[in-house]
Amino acid sequence: MAETSVHTLAMVAPPDDVDTVHEMLESVWASAPQISMRDRFSFETALIELASNVIRHADGGGGISCDLTVEITADQIVACLIDSGLAGNISLIARSMPGELEESGRGLSIIHALVDEVDYDRSDDLNHWRIARTLDS
Amino acid sequence: MDITVKDLGDGVAVLHLDGRLNMVTASGLRDQVGTAVAGGRNRIAVDLTKIEFIDSSGLGALINGLKTARQAGGDLRIASPNEQVKLVLQLTNMERLLTAYDDAETAFIDG
Repeated sequence: MAETSVHTLAMVAPPDDVDTVHEMLESVWASAPQISMRDRFSFETALIELASNVIRHADGGGGISCDLTVEITADQIVACLIDSGLAGNISLIARSMPGELEESGRGLSIIHALVDEVDYDRSDDLNHWRIARTLDS
Repeated sequence: MDITVKDLGDGVAVLHLDGRLNMVTASGLRDQVGTAVAGGRNRIAVDLTKIEFIDSSGLGALINGLKTARQAGGDLRIASPNEQVKLVLQLTNMERLLTAYDDAETAFIDG
């Protein structure tokens, strides 16, 4: 059975952006060949949607600091994202998809479709986000 | 993400994309489609062969391009998406609006 592995990233946006998260995940996948391709791109899609939301909506004007931890266990992959942005005023209840010609509003629905757990907590003036996907057996 | 534009004539332009289509690069695609349409090419084929990843921001740019092309009397079609792109299209119920063609160069062969 594969051991638990933990990967961390500290970023400041700007200048960091979601490509910084992609680059971190490249090293995560390189160290975890047991993760299926489907699990990889499903989890990466959900995490990039989360990071995009944090960067886009939580910046009060002075940039944003994020600490990201990705943990792989025998049966789950989990991301915890802690950011210094404004209090998350985002409902975590999955919404229906917007009209097909709308150009935005799909991110949260995509996250919910691709992971099994989505949690948010505000403490110590920080936003704490957590998503978890159960791995294919 | 890199974008290379190829003019096929008859109002058709192929945009070859290479990299990730996300919140960082979405505006570049919107701009390129806008430039092509303003230049009289209102039938836009977007080649996704070398797109390794798309998110909802990138999807929004494709929808924006589709609307821009249609407002000019044309259309936007996508070609050869990978499994991750297909997943995002499926989850967002966009497979009908953005039907995937096999080859961007022939996406408008039927008109």
